[in-house]
Amino acid sequence: MALPSVDRDKENVAASFVVDATDVVFSYGQRQVLNGVSMHIPKGEIYGILGANGAGKTTLIRLMAGLLKTDGGQLTVFGEKPSSRTARNIGYMPQLNALYLELSAEQNVDFFARMFGLSNAKERREAEEAVLDLVGLWERRKDAVLSLSGGMRQRVSLAIAMVHQPLLLILDEPTVGLDPELRASFWDHFRSLAASGVTLVLSSHTMDDAAHCHRLAFLQEGRVIAEGSPSELSSAAGIAGASLEDAFLHFVRLGQ
Amino acid sequence: MSPGRTTAIANRIIQQMLRDRRSLALILVAPIVVMALVGFTFTDQREVLDRVAPALLAVFALFFTFILTGVSFLRERAQGTLERLMTTPVGRWDILLGYLLGFLLFATIQTVVVLMFTVIALQINYQGDLWQIFVLLSMLTVVSVSLGVFVSTFASNEFQVVQFIPMVFVPQIFLSGIFLPIEDMPRYLEIIARLLPLTYAVEALQDIMLRGQSLADVATDLGVLAGFAAVLLTLAAVTVRRP
Repeated sequence: MALPSVDRDKENVAASFVVDATDVVFSYGQRQVLNGVSMHIPKGEIYGILGANGAGKTTLIRLMAGLLKTDGGQLTVFGEKPSSRTARNIGYMPQLNALYLELSAEQNVDFFARMFGLSNAKERREAEEAVLDLVGLWERRKDAVLSLSGGMRQRVSLAIAMVHQPLLLILDEPTVGLDPELRASFWDHFRSLAASGVTLVLSSHTMDDAAHCHRLAFLQEGRVIAEGSPSELSSAAGIAGASLEDAFLHFVRLGQ
Repeated sequence: MSPGRTTAIANRIIQQMLRDRRSLALILVAPIVVMALVGFTFTDQREVLDRVAPALLAVFALFFTFILTGVSFLRERAQGTLERLMTTPVGRWDILLGYLLGFLLFATIQTVVVLMFTVIALQINYQGDLWQIFVLLSMLTVVSVSLGVFVSTFASNEFQVVQFIPMVFVPQIFLSGIFLPIEDMPRYLEIIARLLPLTYAVEALQDIMLRGQSLADVATDLGVLAGFAAVLLTLAAVTVRRP
């Protein structure tokens, strides 16, 4: 079942870039996590942030979602600083599933739909049905999340991120724990969302995900060490027949 | 603030509690067991029982709501659902009021059950109006929920929430006039007692239930409780703010 369509023309997204980061700096106490990160993500792009554990991917994503504030530089989403206003148009899927385990999948999705202001019961019901069907959990919607497998919980989490039909989807490692078939169907859906004008920013450390992105940023120790399309990055590595993984390792070694 | 979001949060709290049968049983059965023990202990000392029973109603309302809120909010933080909530347009007051409404329902049910047991089984000399008791206990529940949210900030697991009980409750229980009238305490203890919310709740409940006074008669106690509620609500709101 397809997601209900949204009249995108009604949304006033005047900013030239949906996500616009310039020299972003962020520290946890004395530990500097982001050290002058810049990225400019236009509407309808699937943008991947790749890096090893601790490279700063999740911090960057949490900044975009409005959960943290930058210590320096500029970060705007839809042309303004992340706030409760920008939150209406953002769907966020955290790395940790962040679900109410005692409640059913349906109750979880319904609760967050209400938090996003979907007040019309019929429309909310349709949106919930669409996303639960999309993630393949419509039949299990009444089951408590506690009884669902890790992969299924991941799918509930994604359904929550999409239920209010956001214009920007921020996904922290969205395909971890998914089987190959479901992963492929997710990517089909991500592509169709991007085609309809939704912008997707996702973090990952798998090259499988990276290959699906329109553009990638390789992040190392809080700095963007390379940026471009998967094919551009493979070519830029200067290694004949280089895979994305080869390119990533090449840039990481250069950055060290 | 949004009434839709507030009620959705309250509704979610209720749904979670209804699925958590053990906690539900705990808030209903445990107070009755304690009340029965007190009742049977003081069977021949009606005067003591009359003084202790209304006070225990306040203790239960404060204690169980604090534990439930503290642990629930801690889970919100630990499981990442609070962070996820903060990525939605929800406001901090929506969250706090949602919690208040949700737990107020269970505090009210608890009060009805314990009050009925106290009046029918223990035959307490009860005179006040039921609704006035609820108003007073509702104010105490606001104090308790706020305290639970605030304290959960300083705990990183359920065990640590429990460790706040000796700090937060034991002094209040001993000093609120349950065991010894405040006037009979040493002066310095009386001063400390006057700084604790349970003291005012116990005093007002005893006045309403035993002496048949009205809310107007206990307006000072109610006002002080409202003051505690306002301060603690503000502290709680600060701890759940958007970064």
